[in-house]
Amino acid sequence: MKSVRIIALKKDRKRLLEHLQDSALVQVKKGKQVSEGFQRIDKSPQIKQFERNAEITEQALNILKKLSPEKKGLLASFKGRKEIDPDEIGRIAAESAKILGVCQKIITLEKQRADYAAEQIRIRTSLAQLEPWKKLDIPLNTKDTPTTAVLIGTLPKAYDDITLSEALATECPDLVFEFEILHTSATMTCVVLFAPKKQRELAEKSLRTLGFSQPINPTSRTPQVKSKRLQDKSDDLRRKDEEAEQEIIRLTEYREKICNTQDYFELRIEKYKVISELDQTGHVFVLNGYVPEEDCAKLQAVCEKAATCVVEFEDADEDAPIKLKNNRFAEPAQSIVTMYSTPSHADIDPTPVLAFFFYFFFGMMFSDAGYGLLMIIVTTILLKVFKPDKAMRNNLRLFRNCGIFTVFWGLVFGSIFGDAPAMFYKMFTGNEITMKELLPWPILDTQKDALMIMILSIALGLVHILVGMGCKFYVCMKQKEYAKAFFDTGFWMLLLCGFAVLAAGMAAGQIVIYIGAGISIAAAVGLILTQGRGKKGIFGKLIGGVASLYDITSYISDLLSYSRLLALGLTTGVMAQVFNMLSTLFGTSIPGIIFMIVIFVAGHLITIGLNALGSYVHTMRLQYVEMFSKFYEGGGKPFEPFSVKSKSFKTKGSNDD
Amino acid sequence: MENMIGIIMAIVAASIATVLAGIGSVKGVGGAAQASMGVLSEDSSKFGKMLVLTLLPGTQGLYGFIVGFLILINCGVLGGDIPTLGQGIAFVGASLAIGFGGMLSGFAQGKAAISGIAMTAKDEKNFSKAMVSITLVEIYALLAFIVSLLVVISVPNLK
Repeated sequence: MKSVRIIALKKDRKRLLEHLQDSALVQVKKGKQVSEGFQRIDKSPQIKQFERNAEITEQALNILKKLSPEKKGLLASFKGRKEIDPDEIGRIAAESAKILGVCQKIITLEKQRADYAAEQIRIRTSLAQLEPWKKLDIPLNTKDTPTTAVLIGTLPKAYDDITLSEALATECPDLVFEFEILHTSATMTCVVLFAPKKQRELAEKSLRTLGFSQPINPTSRTPQVKSKRLQDKSDDLRRKDEEAEQEIIRLTEYREKICNTQDYFELRIEKYKVISELDQTGHVFVLNGYVPEEDCAKLQAVCEKAATCVVEFEDADEDAPIKLKNNRFAEPAQSIVTMYSTPSHADIDPTPVLAFFFYFFFGMMFSDAGYGLLMIIVTTILLKVFKPDKAMRNNLRLFRNCGIFTVFWGLVFGSIFGDAPAMFYKMFTGNEITMKELLPWPILDTQKDALMIMILSIALGLVHILVGMGCKFYVCMKQKEYAKAFFDTGFWMLLLCGFAVLAAGMAAGQIVIYIGAGISIAAAVGLILTQGRGKKGIFGKLIGGVASLYDITSYISDLLSYSRLLALGLTTGVMAQVFNMLSTLFGTSIPGIIFMIVIFVAGHLITIGLNALGSYVHTMRLQYVEMFSKFYEGGGKPFEPFSVKSKSFKTKGSNDD
Repeated sequence: MENMIGIIMAIVAASIATVLAGIGSVKGVGGAAQASMGVLSEDSSKFGKMLVLTLLPGTQGLYGFIVGFLILINCGVLGGDIPTLGQGIAFVGASLAIGFGGMLSGFAQGKAAISGIAMTAKDEKNFSKAMVSITLVEIYALLAFIVSLLVVISVPNLK
């Protein structure tokens, strides 16, 4: 990583920044103090404006998504962004005002629809209130006639003609009345009561004691007419609502343009944020940033093509971000490293080491030639057909590489869709055969040779751990911490190697055991003598040294952890075998064959799903817990160049891909 | 009947391995699934990650099943020779390791998975850390599995 300073004329600012953004080569230093004699330009109002616009497009897109969801294939998420010419951005910019108008229209329409929906609810409530009065053929607010008082309202109890007249008569024996019950339910009786006008107060009083209340918002039309009107209004609203919906759906044709415009706004926001970080004078501006070492020449070319400028490079400071750079084999595993942590300046990039062991262990756990082949074929097809973006492309490549090792281990363990070849052989010929007899090369049977594979697993684990410690050794040497390198790491490596030789000696013979024991004892003595070196006094040093030997338990538990290589490898094999056995249950008749195909496909899909997940998780754990703990610190900042951070398009020839 | 006792013991052993380890996974996955559905009701886009975390305590049941299956193909039910009484008891002994190891580690891993789901719900960047932490529990199920496995495959040679 290099620090870069670009000094250019202000009149070229727009052009230069656009080119830098397209090329995605440089990360701008943020939050740097403004240099003396320069000033900053505050672009936050513009940034706010564009953020508001982006928000509007987002809202519009959400509405479109709700009303007319995009028809996407099952595999669409693999598809990469559309590639466009950089000049196309100018065209998108020119159209952005129009598209923003479309977005606002969509939002307005949607808001109208919300209003309609609220109005519909209000109408529905009114209709429900009118419902009990349906039989009433005078308006609810009918006034008294010159001689007769008219009282319309509800009583909070169920009455029929007899009980109500009885109740009224008991309340006020003098009252002369006539009434009509329009509606009765358990909690309510709607009633119209007529009484002589001079008895109005009396009637009101007696009714009030029964709990009489007048209807809320009485109208001057009969309930029939009123509810008809409300119904019409409701229908009208529904029609309007549909129209608005249709209108929005018609605007779906702009979806792609809206997506592009949104990206354009994001791109402008990014650019203004950079402008806010520039040191400027009346005529000149200075951009401070970081650029990966290998891109320096490219950056210079881009700048000089775009503007009159001076580009200066110097060695980067401590805060510089980290860009991982790996070959085609290791690159897909970068995401596994960054998922843990970006390496710091003190670290070495662990990706190449991790990549190999990741593929290797994944293969050993998944360990089936058939599945591995499927992985290779499927990922290759997806890569070719969909041309996915960088992140997805790397994931697919990761699984393709894992697939290659899966095939390898599948062949070693003699597993091709479990024991499918042997199973079919038996099914159609009736002769028993094992995979061992069927395959022309010697295989390790996961079930019969389990102990052997367990030893192999732990041996591979030892190699893995030693490689991790070797990295630590290398890092310490690079930082010139020789004591740490030789005493803290070297002796332990020696001790582990000694144990390995010792273990090998058990099979190979007496002499190897002596060699192994010799190495182990030498290493242990070395550890006792050196591990207490930070302590004071001869006793402190000695006790510290001896106590450090206790760490051997952590190494042993690390090594045993690799037995999962056997366990998961066996799991895949046995599950596949179980489904093979189930699929051949019904013999070679036609229904039997159909049954076989169904169970075979479904069963192996289940096996692949469960075991690929298990293998992925466990190989990741082996990297993170067993190997990274030996040397990897992490905590660096990832390199995030000034670029077009777009969701729906990418520019041709840009570096971010 | 006498030569049946061995095979009966073997079948009991297969059941112990499958069922006890299965109980561990059932409880672990069940709890994790409830937690992840809670998260999904807020944000369904996390489905993939939640699925992974939910499935992690599911392996115990699988290990138990594999031991059960290996017993069956070694004891004359799906293949192999009819075991003697001693061999039958050896199968039972082997199945206890993955049975109890799987069950108890399944409980523990389920709890860890629930916490991992809560952690991932707060910030998706925690996903890999949660995943690795949950797998730490699994080693004990694996060790139990390997013990069971080594015994089961060597039982037919015991006389």
